[in-house]
Amino acid sequence: MNVLKVPARTIAVFVLPCVLLYIGTVFIPILVSFYTSTLDWNGIGDAKFIGLANFHTLLFEDNNFWPSVRRTLMYAVFSIVEIPFCLLFAILLNRYVRKGSRLVTIYFIPVILSNVILGQLWKTIYNPTSMGGMLNGVLVQLGLESWTHSWLTEPAYAMYALYFVSLWQYFGYHLLIQFTGVQNIPDEIYEAARIDGAEGFKADRYITFPMIVPIFKISVVLAFIGSLQAFELVMVMTGGGPAHATDTIATHMYNMSFLSQKYGYGSAVATFLVVFCLIITVIINFIFNRVERKVT
Amino acid sequence: MKKTGKVLALLLAGALTVGLTACGKSDSSSGASGGSSSGEKVTITFQNISPDPTTPAYKIIRQLVAEYQKEHPNVEIALDTLNTDQQKLKLKTQAASREIPDITMVNPAAQMKPYVDAGLLAPLDDVLDKDGLRDTYQKGLLDYYSKDNKVYALPDGNNIEVGFYNKALFAKAGIDAPPTTFDELLADVGKLKAAGITPIAIGEKDSWTGSFLFMNILLRTNGGPGFLQDVVDGKKTFNDPAFIEAVEAFQKLVQAGAFPDGATAIDATAGGNMFRTGQAAMFFIGTWETGSNDASTVGKDIGVFKFPTVNGKGNLDEYMLAPGSAYAVSANSEHLAETKDFLHFFTSNYPKASFDMKNAVGLGQKVDGDFKTAGYSSLAIEILDMFKNIKGGDLSFDNTMNPAVSQVHLSSIQNLFVQQVDPKQVAEEHQAAFEANK
Repeated sequence: MNVLKVPARTIAVFVLPCVLLYIGTVFIPILVSFYTSTLDWNGIGDAKFIGLANFHTLLFEDNNFWPSVRRTLMYAVFSIVEIPFCLLFAILLNRYVRKGSRLVTIYFIPVILSNVILGQLWKTIYNPTSMGGMLNGVLVQLGLESWTHSWLTEPAYAMYALYFVSLWQYFGYHLLIQFTGVQNIPDEIYEAARIDGAEGFKADRYITFPMIVPIFKISVVLAFIGSLQAFELVMVMTGGGPAHATDTIATHMYNMSFLSQKYGYGSAVATFLVVFCLIITVIINFIFNRVERKVT
Repeated sequence: MKKTGKVLALLLAGALTVGLTACGKSDSSSGASGGSSSGEKVTITFQNISPDPTTPAYKIIRQLVAEYQKEHPNVEIALDTLNTDQQKLKLKTQAASREIPDITMVNPAAQMKPYVDAGLLAPLDDVLDKDGLRDTYQKGLLDYYSKDNKVYALPDGNNIEVGFYNKALFAKAGIDAPPTTFDELLADVGKLKAAGITPIAIGEKDSWTGSFLFMNILLRTNGGPGFLQDVVDGKKTFNDPAFIEAVEAFQKLVQAGAFPDGATAIDATAGGNMFRTGQAAMFFIGTWETGSNDASTVGKDIGVFKFPTVNGKGNLDEYMLAPGSAYAVSANSEHLAETKDFLHFFTSNYPKASFDMKNAVGLGQKVDGDFKTAGYSSLAIEILDMFKNIKGGDLSFDNTMNPAVSQVHLSSIQNLFVQQVDPKQVAEEHQAAFEANK
């Protein structure tokens, strides 16, 4: 702090509005939802304190909960697996394409589009053949009629159809982050390495990868947290159906709080989600700290 | 150090003024609650569920609001227009903080109960007793909106579920009359399918649509109304043969390919449009769709039929009843008197305005006027005749059971659209949910 040559009190004053806002919009609601998760409450009338009974039901009796956790985790796994590909793509773009940033801007477009629009778009792509779905149409054209499916309504495929849309949407997002990271590595380092005979993959192995780790970490954390909160796309495309086959933790929370009107129970799901996010973030940070120390 | 002190003082002073003005504002607004028709400016929030400008309901609301504001220049009616699902959600959120709009919309019976229990709604008997408004409502209808002999909401409609069918598509598939038995219905589904026509339109992403259709079958297999009430009263369980038979019949319909591919991803509006654009031959829905079916491009081809008997059981004149969404008034309204006065004006003039806009089929109130000479379609008149012969019926599942059980039911029925399930298992699932959420 002394580096800044500003008294601590001034810093406090400048930081205060943000801290208050953060406490008001993040911490207090989280605490409130901790509290409501101990209630038997339909959200409207009187509430009854029931301790941890909601959590007991949630963890041990709710047939839809663990499958929705599994789907949410799969969501996260897919999004994380995507990131190395984004990095590879970013490196290639940076190296072989002049003005690669223009391409990156184009890839970024799905990110700024509303999830509702994307959902509607992909819904028409996934439509069954009888309703003129594009994907099925292409399959039929290729003579692969046996491969056609009603993608969003067959429980075996619906969730994967959703994963794919998210991957497609966030490809540009992670590409942008990785691309910026790659660009920020000073050219001098590569030049020096070239003199020492390290080019191409070798340069990537010993320069790009170690230097990109912090950026990589940001992508991973963002992808993970983003996936845990997967909600709008699922709501727009399948509404969690058919029969919970595409429910995620967030849609389960919504269904419980607002449709089944078990507000307390929904809060228990929300609490689980918060704690889960925290734990995962700590784990990711821990792993990356070790990795960083190892490679640098 | 001194500087920071000054900055801090300034900040605190700023915060204080903001706080003061905030207090002042709330003070003045709560003070206004006492004043009534003294010409003081009053704003009444009217939350409604008619967002589509092409529908008569949308126009009627605006017409009546404009008329009322003309007569009462001091009153401003602020419309909060949402679609049905949004409104349900918004109201629940508002109810959680006990700040519901002056006028809002609730659904009958089980769906209205939590709001009444929480003391959020004002009893409306004084509105009903003014100028004989109570007598304009159909006999028994207000019971669905009453608790402890007080009426808490005034319905905008009273509908039944019927089968609409497209005569031109039926002719194309070689069918000359709508089905009167379930076997005929299955046979017709086969014929339509063979002719390349989607037999029954549905928007099962909104899972109430499938449930609404399923409940017709249950009404028949049970040999009459009252199955769910019997379950609530502990006289029957979901494992009853009538329920299992209904699930079996419904599965037959699904297996026969009665519904569009990917039905569980189609929303209710899109489902209705499949029928109204001539893509599907039948549509089981409430008579509230009469107006929009009439007005559609295939309007002249549309006919109507009663839900067929199932395995020889049931009475054709028993229907799924759908007492409409209803106007309710916030008990904590700051302008209770004005709000009630407006609601009285609104509900008193609603039937006439609806009649003039050809929207009086399925109204909850009696209407004066001759439908034929007013130019109502033959479809509308046919439906009005059905109303005259109603022998009874059931309310929808979510108006009878509490929300938690309803949700299990809705997704259980939705599941039948995508995979075959042992009917006993479906029954078991319902019973378990019912017992867990008593």
